[in-house]
Amino acid sequence: MLKKGRLTMIVVFLAPAIAFYILVFLYPTIRTVIMSFYKMGTVSDRFANWSFVGISNYIWLFQSPLFLQSLSNIFFIWLYGGVIIFFFALLFAVILTSGVKIKSFYRSVIYLPNVVSAVAMATMWIHYVYNTRYGILREIFNFLGIEKLAATQWTSPDNVFMALIVAYSFGMVGYFMLIFMAGIERIPKDYYEAATIDGANVFSQFFRITLPLLQDIMRTNVILWTINAVGFFVWSQLFSPLVPEPGTVTPMIYMYQEVFGTSTVVIDRNVGNGAAVGVTLTIIVVASFTITNLIFRDKKIEF
Amino acid sequence: MKKVILLLILLLPIFVAVSCGGKDANSGDKKKIVYWSMWNEVEPQGQVIKQAIADFMEKNPDVKVEINWNGRDIRKTLQPALDNKQKIDLWDEDLERTTVSWGKYGLNLDEYVEASYDTTEGKPYQDFVMRSLIEVSKSYSKDGSIYSIPYQPFMFTVMYNKDHFAKAGITKNPETWAEFLDACAKLKNAGYIPMTVDDAYVQVLLGYQLAKYKGSDWVKKLVLEGLWDDPVVLKAVQDWQKMYELGYISPNVAGNKFPQGQQEIANGEVSMYLNGTWLVNEIMPSTGPDFPWGQFLYPTVEGGTDTIYDTSYGSQGFQVNKNTKYPNEVFALIIHLTTGEWDKKLAQNTFGAPVASTTDWPVQLSDAKDLFPKLEKVYPFAAGIEYNKDKIPTIVANFIRVISGQLTSEEFIVEMKK
Repeated sequence: MLKKGRLTMIVVFLAPAIAFYILVFLYPTIRTVIMSFYKMGTVSDRFANWSFVGISNYIWLFQSPLFLQSLSNIFFIWLYGGVIIFFFALLFAVILTSGVKIKSFYRSVIYLPNVVSAVAMATMWIHYVYNTRYGILREIFNFLGIEKLAATQWTSPDNVFMALIVAYSFGMVGYFMLIFMAGIERIPKDYYEAATIDGANVFSQFFRITLPLLQDIMRTNVILWTINAVGFFVWSQLFSPLVPEPGTVTPMIYMYQEVFGTSTVVIDRNVGNGAAVGVTLTIIVVASFTITNLIFRDKKIEF
Repeated sequence: MKKVILLLILLLPIFVAVSCGGKDANSGDKKKIVYWSMWNEVEPQGQVIKQAIADFMEKNPDVKVEINWNGRDIRKTLQPALDNKQKIDLWDEDLERTTVSWGKYGLNLDEYVEASYDTTEGKPYQDFVMRSLIEVSKSYSKDGSIYSIPYQPFMFTVMYNKDHFAKAGITKNPETWAEFLDACAKLKNAGYIPMTVDDAYVQVLLGYQLAKYKGSDWVKKLVLEGLWDDPVVLKAVQDWQKMYELGYISPNVAGNKFPQGQQEIANGEVSMYLNGTWLVNEIMPSTGPDFPWGQFLYPTVEGGTDTIYDTSYGSQGFQVNKNTKYPNEVFALIIHLTTGEWDKKLAQNTFGAPVASTTDWPVQLSDAKDLFPKLEKVYPFAAGIEYNKDKIPTIVANFIRVISGQLTSEEFIVEMKK
């Protein structure tokens, strides 16, 4: 039994946090779920102005080719981006934890893009890397004498999706590299010393020691990456600021347009559709979380 | 005692929230006007409005104006704030948006525009400023009254480089599609790329071509009902396919991300760009004030219904809260901003059009000044092609493919019907 005074203290310290949690997280979540079954013109419309539409917002969403395209886009952002990011993040993490000199310098350099704002990063990629007249890719391919690649319009409708993924992945490598590094550094050095004595080369050590012992870190990273991919918004907005393109539209962009309208013409809005997008994305994240946990069984690894 | 302390701790956040949010906005002796601006403080418009408001407060010592610089985020922030009864007396945004989306919060300003003021030279306000914009503003409301006061007028024109036209030997601005093609040919022969565009505005080209054939109401119907088999669609797309085939379009358009196409105009590589008159201000840092700007209206097409004077035109609009305590003071501020010295400064410093009929226009927009009084039908943005927000991304992508030679007109129709 808790002493009465202690219980009071617990209540005093927990109450503000719980109150704010209910106010800023639980209430909006419940409200959004309810809104997804109604139609209303603005996000702050009074309940009296809402009209019940059942699941028709969801039906409408899944009949919209643009919304389906946006779902397809985030799946491939997750897949292609995930492969690029995890490959380079793991590679750099392994290299930097293998005893290279000035490790902290390299670590900082690779992490640096995370410190720079997304707006500045996207501007750099669009206008100084992909630009067809003076972009760095054009200069590099011209220097190498590969004229066909130098003339490629990287941000054209056919290429913009991959251009977006590459640009975004560039910034995210450092973030996941840090987490992998932390995971690798907690693996006892004895394992590697024993493996070296037994004649295991670096690849065997990586596949038989590092990778299996990073399982829980991998699970965390996959979940973090999934949340990132599902919430993909800013970079899409920066690549297509006024009108989304089939190659850059994501569910968050779609939701934004449903809730706040477009920036050019004034059209009728249905915020309920936007809420339905939000609920759908939440379900996707929860489902991904469950699947990830099933794939990476929750084994407690202790050293 | 412990219970009292516990209660106080629990109530503290609520007390703080209430004391911050519920503070009497009219504290002190002055009449306080709260203005939510669509501009950022650092923008040229924000800078002029800030100075104008300081001047207004100096001339009206009993009034204090508090400015909240929202930028374009006002499209998201204003309505929830008004729904939650936040004290906002005045705000601004696009003329159509203020009336159509926020009209229910706005004060009917009919009486105010019919009255005359010190700075309107004895004329009613509506006759002193651009009357056509007053009528456009009224046309957006359900009851034909005015709920938003126009300022910073704009129109959609072909913005062009006059030096290029002179060197190419073009003595008369094109008015028909045939004359436009002829002008493009002369520009190409003179060594210039006639036309460019960015991904942000590419749909405007197709929207205008379609609207010149059958009107903007039909364009809206086309995108909402999917009338892609109409022969006019094929014809309009073919017109622009021909522009590509004749080499009249910048080879960079497939990858031009806004504002890369505008920069092609600024650095003198390309001659024409279909855009709002705001383009002058937008790329002023690149062009400098001496750039030889010219404007002409999008040409008519053979057999088309619409005239050369049908285009998108409008302005930003000031809207007054119907619940404001100080409607007269707020309207006095609007007059201060839209007439006389500050209308002139706003036009000069932003290289935009003034709203008062007697104010000088910036030299860069001298062609537009002559065109403005002649304008007829008001097109919505991009002549209505953006009304289907589910379809517009596909239209943009496929039309870019047409004007960069990756898709034929017939293939465009097939793609749009998918």
